[in-house]
Amino acid sequence: MLGTLVVGGLAALDATPVAQTLASQPLVTATVLGAFWGDWSTALGVGTVLQILAASTLPIGARTPEDYSVGGVVGAGVALSIASAAPFEHVRQAASLVGVMTGMVAATVGVPLLRWQRRQNEGLARWCEAELRSGHERALAEAQWAGVALAFAVGLAATALWMAVAHWGSGLVERESLRLAGVWHLLQPLWLGFGFAQLLHAFVQRRLERAGVFAAALVGAWLVIVAGAP
Amino acid sequence: MSERRVDRATLLEIGLRSNLLQAAWNFERQQGLGWAFALAPALRALYPDRETRLDRLAEHTAYFNTQPTLASIALGAAVRVEEDRAAGVGGDAASMARLKSALGSTLAALGDRLFWFSLRPFAAAVGVLLGMVHPSHGWGALSLWLVYAVPHLVLRFGGVGWGYAAGPAVLSGAFRERLEAAVRWLALLGCVVLGVALAWALAPGGEPRPIAVQCALAVGLGAGLLTAQRARPSPTRWALAFGFLGLILAWRFHG
Repeated sequence: MLGTLVVGGLAALDATPVAQTLASQPLVTATVLGAFWGDWSTALGVGTVLQILAASTLPIGARTPEDYSVGGVVGAGVALSIASAAPFEHVRQAASLVGVMTGMVAATVGVPLLRWQRRQNEGLARWCEAELRSGHERALAEAQWAGVALAFAVGLAATALWMAVAHWGSGLVERESLRLAGVWHLLQPLWLGFGFAQLLHAFVQRRLERAGVFAAALVGAWLVIVAGAP
Repeated sequence: MSERRVDRATLLEIGLRSNLLQAAWNFERQQGLGWAFALAPALRALYPDRETRLDRLAEHTAYFNTQPTLASIALGAAVRVEEDRAAGVGGDAASMARLKSALGSTLAALGDRLFWFSLRPFAAAVGVLLGMVHPSHGWGALSLWLVYAVPHLVLRFGGVGWGYAAGPAVLSGAFRERLEAAVRWLALLGCVVLGVALAWALAPGGEPRPIAVQCALAVGLGAGLLTAQRARPSPTRWALAFGFLGLILAWRFHG
């Protein structure tokens, strides 16, 4: 559990303040958590759906996008925590559904939290300029590291909060696991299809030749996959 | 033209520090603080006089924003201009502000298309495809990370040197054309990867999935293509709405 919280803090760092290498993307963090919890299947089931949705969420200009760095960790963490309590297939599927939903809610609710964090940084920037002008050269590095520490703390705290909520609701998920597993069977492909379409729209951009390339790849791959199957 | 006074080690340190470009990102100055922090080693080398150096540092904390990977190129070009300024052969606060504004907006236009609209979705598509094909391994995550992080880090570290070597003219000519070509190729390759991923989602391992699952996939695809025509509500809000609708229907009609 502690590992999950630390991954939440680290993901919040990679998302914006440090490096931005996409190590904070849901598929990556879900894979790390899957290794921690020893359950790849649940982690990747949740991580794949959240990843395809996160891929069309872009940090352009001053826009504050949904926080899928923390959302991805929360989603996989919640699903793994519930699934670890009762290792049956239908509970695992119910946990995946609840994980994806919680991850998306956490990503959406994370937007005001990110805005708050960025407003704190405004004060930090003003303080830094004033300190530099008064001769305090280290102020710049101190302000930078304060921004990093704040981001880590916010990521860790948000992950802890959502994990606590999930722990509180895990009994209900276990009780309703059969019904939730049925919903997961239909919602997982629906979400995947929805995410594929968003990405396709981004790639094709109303260009006929690109749509043709996609159609050719789809048909060709389908023939190879089906014909090549034993 | 002044003599070059910023060595490779300093440029490398700027590249390293550019990883913290957005550490204190805020609505007022955006990347301003990170920009000044990244430039600090060059200013230390160029301005031995502490008072002048602090004045320059404070000046650089002003507003700056661009696509964070390509910011390295602007940093390199700014070092070059700052070098001339320190040698007294040109450049002042106003011309530095103009350079930051011009490079910032041009690099944002190029970088947003290359990294946010092309490479990031492409890396995600590759990762999701491999994640579906190998659901019990970390290949999807590893490929997603490598496809994005390798070019990102190469440009982040190399960009400072390129910007420094070419100065403010860094974005004219071949470099810009190469980035534009990368955008076109990534879009085409992305279409191929998505086609393969969708085919695999329909029949993983060659075994077609139940008709209800294929229908759900098709409904999701259709809804995605329709909702993608408008920026709002965001894809996440649509996906959440589908999720809650599914839960309500399950409770209403399933026992």
